[in-house]
Amino acid sequence: MILLRLISWPYFRKHILRTMLTAAGIVLGVAVFVGMHTANQSVLAAFSHTVDRIAGKTELQVTAGETGFGEDVLENVQSASTVRVAVPVIEAVVDSNIKGQGNLLILGVDMTGDRSLRDYDLESGDEAVIDDPLVFLAQPDSLIVSKEFAEKNGLAVGSRLPLGTAEGERRFTIRGVMKSSGLTSAFGGNLAIMDIYAAQKMFGRGRTFDRIDLAVRPGRTIALAEAELGAMLGPGFRVEPPSGRGQQFEAMLAAYSMMVGISSLFALFIGMFIIYNSFAIAVTQRRSEIGILRALGATRGQIRRLFLGESAVTGLVGSLGGAAFGLLIARGIAASIGALISDVYGVAQQADELATSPALLLGAIGIGVMTSIVAAAIPAYQAARVDPVQALQKGKYQVLSAGESRVRVAAAAILGAISAACLVIPLDRSRPVFYTGYVLAIIAALLLSPLLSLALARTIRPVLKWIRPVEGALAADSLIQSPRRTSASVAALMLSLALVVAFAGMARASYDTIIDWMESTLNPDLFVLPSQNIVVRTIRFPKTMGPELEAIPGVERIQMVRDARIVFRETPVMVVAVEIESVAQTTRRAPLAGDRDDMYRRAAAGEGLIVSDNLAQLQRLSLGDVLEIPAPAGLIRLPIVGIVVDYSDQQGTILMDRTLFERYWHDDTVNVLRVFLKPGAAVPDVRQRILKRYAGTRQVFVLTNGELKQYILKITDQWFGLTSVQIAVAVLVAILGIVNTLTVSITDRRRELGVLRAVGGLHGQVRRTIWIEALSIGCLGLVLGFALGAINLYYILQIVHHDIAGMRLAYAFPTNVVLTLVPTILTAAFVAAIWPAESAVHGSLVEALEYE
Amino acid sequence: MNERRCSHTILFVAVVSSFLAGADVEVLRAAEDARAIVAEAQRRTDAKSQRYEGVLQVFDAKGKISDKRWTFERLGSHGQSRVVLRFVAPPEVKGVALLIVNHPDRASDQWMWTPAIERDRRIALQDRSTRFFGTDFSFEDLEERDVNQNDYALLGEESIDGTPGWKIQSTPKQTRSSQYTRSIVWIRTDSYAVARIENYVKDKLVRRLNYSDIQNIQGIWTARQLEMLDLTRGSRTRLTLEKVQYNLPLDDEAFTLQAIRRQ
Repeated sequence: MILLRLISWPYFRKHILRTMLTAAGIVLGVAVFVGMHTANQSVLAAFSHTVDRIAGKTELQVTAGETGFGEDVLENVQSASTVRVAVPVIEAVVDSNIKGQGNLLILGVDMTGDRSLRDYDLESGDEAVIDDPLVFLAQPDSLIVSKEFAEKNGLAVGSRLPLGTAEGERRFTIRGVMKSSGLTSAFGGNLAIMDIYAAQKMFGRGRTFDRIDLAVRPGRTIALAEAELGAMLGPGFRVEPPSGRGQQFEAMLAAYSMMVGISSLFALFIGMFIIYNSFAIAVTQRRSEIGILRALGATRGQIRRLFLGESAVTGLVGSLGGAAFGLLIARGIAASIGALISDVYGVAQQADELATSPALLLGAIGIGVMTSIVAAAIPAYQAARVDPVQALQKGKYQVLSAGESRVRVAAAAILGAISAACLVIPLDRSRPVFYTGYVLAIIAALLLSPLLSLALARTIRPVLKWIRPVEGALAADSLIQSPRRTSASVAALMLSLALVVAFAGMARASYDTIIDWMESTLNPDLFVLPSQNIVVRTIRFPKTMGPELEAIPGVERIQMVRDARIVFRETPVMVVAVEIESVAQTTRRAPLAGDRDDMYRRAAAGEGLIVSDNLAQLQRLSLGDVLEIPAPAGLIRLPIVGIVVDYSDQQGTILMDRTLFERYWHDDTVNVLRVFLKPGAAVPDVRQRILKRYAGTRQVFVLTNGELKQYILKITDQWFGLTSVQIAVAVLVAILGIVNTLTVSITDRRRELGVLRAVGGLHGQVRRTIWIEALSIGCLGLVLGFALGAINLYYILQIVHHDIAGMRLAYAFPTNVVLTLVPTILTAAFVAAIWPAESAVHGSLVEALEYE
Repeated sequence: MNERRCSHTILFVAVVSSFLAGADVEVLRAAEDARAIVAEAQRRTDAKSQRYEGVLQVFDAKGKISDKRWTFERLGSHGQSRVVLRFVAPPEVKGVALLIVNHPDRASDQWMWTPAIERDRRIALQDRSTRFFGTDFSFEDLEERDVNQNDYALLGEESIDGTPGWKIQSTPKQTRSSQYTRSIVWIRTDSYAVARIENYVKDKLVRRLNYSDIQNIQGIWTARQLEMLDLTRGSRTRLTLEKVQYNLPLDDEAFTLQAIRRQ
């Protein structure tokens, strides 16, 4: 502590900017970590909060995936001996049609019995009433809204509110206002209650419920009730506490969460290199100070602890700042994730509040401090190990000794060989081996980065000298003579760019694959949808619309599609029910496994199922495997008759014939109608006819093939929005690292630069020297980053294929992104050099010459 | 000496036994009397059918009054009856109907029909304790009960509105589920008409139903005004019966779910 106070504190104060830059590395890493995880947790917490608030006193919920189930199930559940009360529920998310208000969550309930489970706080106190319960039930346009929603929008009992329904826009009458309570805080207060049977009609649900909420009879346990209901209802139903839905939501987000995890870990890793760089430079800078301390009797241990202590303090300050900054950016990230979830998964979320977890914050701070200590460990060790006499010598310490170079090369070669050997065993056979090989490859690259930087610096020296004979040579020599100072910045930049290249490559490959799939499979001319958002399945069409559309002039064929998420082997996957016989005639793409004709024939006859390639990859399925699909009417046991490319859902898709779906789910409604036109029919004309046919009677949205593809690509863009975050991080890393390196470089070369100016060197020449050095560091980082990125891309594609989305993506180096990164990083490097260059130019010449 | 003591003991036991037996007999007689009174009250209101037009007024705790009107038709009596209750005013609720099928040995089956959405819904047994559309009657209160569904105990005699009456405690049998733990019923001694019912949940009085304006219509003493007080909420609902008729011809088919869906 004394040493920290007497030695470290004055150093921090004297080099406040460098200290801040050092801490900034940890700030960046911790901020990204905290921001992304807090945002993720906030969205999950918002979903769970909504589920909990709506659940009220519900102890168990009966569901059958997104499809819902027939009304007859309710009576069965109510008759169970362990059930005290069981009430049906429908949930629908609709656009509130109020500017700035977004979506409204409609809860359809049977008010005759629902109040046993949910406290509506309707008729108590002075603040909220329902006008007339019988009118509420008798009129299908009745709504009860939360007090918050009513006050925000100037609504009261009797006000009219337009909402989109299956029958088009309908004006609803507010017949009650709920006073503030746990229930009304669900969905950010944008909650409305409706009679369940009116909701069935308004949202085209036929005679189905989404779920049944129930409470257990006193004296009976929840486990007993689960067992009784499970046995009674069969495998097609899930009976679980409300929290189970939160877990399903989390499973749905697993892929996204994994990418967030990878990004945030990389950010911390990069921060570690910035710290390492700073401390390595600091050790160099304070060699004489170390020598004096050692000469005065300080032990190696004390020196080591001094630097570790400094790194711990820096890490703590940086982590605290990073945590605060992370919370600031978390809100923006949460909004972005919320929008992504809504557009990709059709689950509307409003994460209005941040779910700050003290455990996460403390963990992040702890990780930041540990990262800082780990990063400073090697410099601290090196500072402790050097002889006091050598410690008083300048310059030599920046050089890589031959011995050290050999050790690095040997270690890198061994690790690289082990990493290559690990590739022999595929990821799906042994995850530990694969990931070990991945980590070893990164470590090998890091070990080699100083030597590679040195080699590249020597390579570009002639070029730099050719561009600017004096400035170029000086810049190159600075890099060559001080590889330690340079390599950490280059390593940080290399890691950052490697991640950008990998994500960009993954995004590019995904785009290409999705486009290819759309071209060959999504080939209807028009798509008729009940809502603007294609993934929202709140509203459905009746089956009768199929023949109605077929009768429209210009229409050759209609395919009716019903899709819904179910839980298959504890994972939410998509079931797509369509007329397989018709699809066989319109789809051009051959299956990846199975005979095309046989596949379609058997699937159309209800004798088999077709699965998507990503489902087969993620669930380890093969042609011929018998699947057991839980459905309300029983368990479907059918073989896989074909494996196709289909990206309807990230977790995978099961395609079946509509008749099979109707038989097992008792549901003949439709989510999407695919329209194929007769030869010669004009798409705009038929589109108008469809809109005219249903004007005023039904809400329909008609998208052309091109518009739908644009929509899907837009969602894909959102999914890969993380890439933009990574690029921003890369730019910041570049600036931080290069400013840090140049600041020290200028201090180190103060005398050299002073001599230059003294013998007539112009300010412009000094500036250009610094600028060229910065741009050279940028170039080294770019070259090594792209090289490591090419390797990283391979690993990321394997992870995507086997662990995240099951997508078979072709390896393609993202040249477009790379070409964009070059000017971006070089510009960042130049910007980073501006201030150091000015400080080199405007420093005192006399002091520079006296510097010793 | 021992013989004397023994005989005194025997006499004592005999006296006590007879006293106790007498007490049991008294209790039994009282129970039988209570049941007999209730059975008689039920018998005197038996009719093949009934019809009336009802005016329902709900007075909430703040004094606000809402009015509705319905037609009430019943086929059969008590535990063997079926009821169709259909709202006729105001316009927002016109056509909403409730079908109640009463059973002598168990809870009734109830369905509600909503013409605006053309849907019926079953009122689950679990939901019978909820309020009937904002009134102070619960769905259970609308059931027609049979004398055999409860156990009775005569608590004595007490006047209601100056008219003497029997005070009887009624406890649902285990075979009949009820939201109420027990009820106290006052039956007028002169006409066997029910004058008041107080319903308890455990030891708390939750509802009181007063019968008034009792008239003899076609030989059946009928309360033309019923007022239910919800003592927890502080609100009351008044039902006024108009145009009461008994034993009129009613179509059996009209008391089915299909029939109320058609109308």
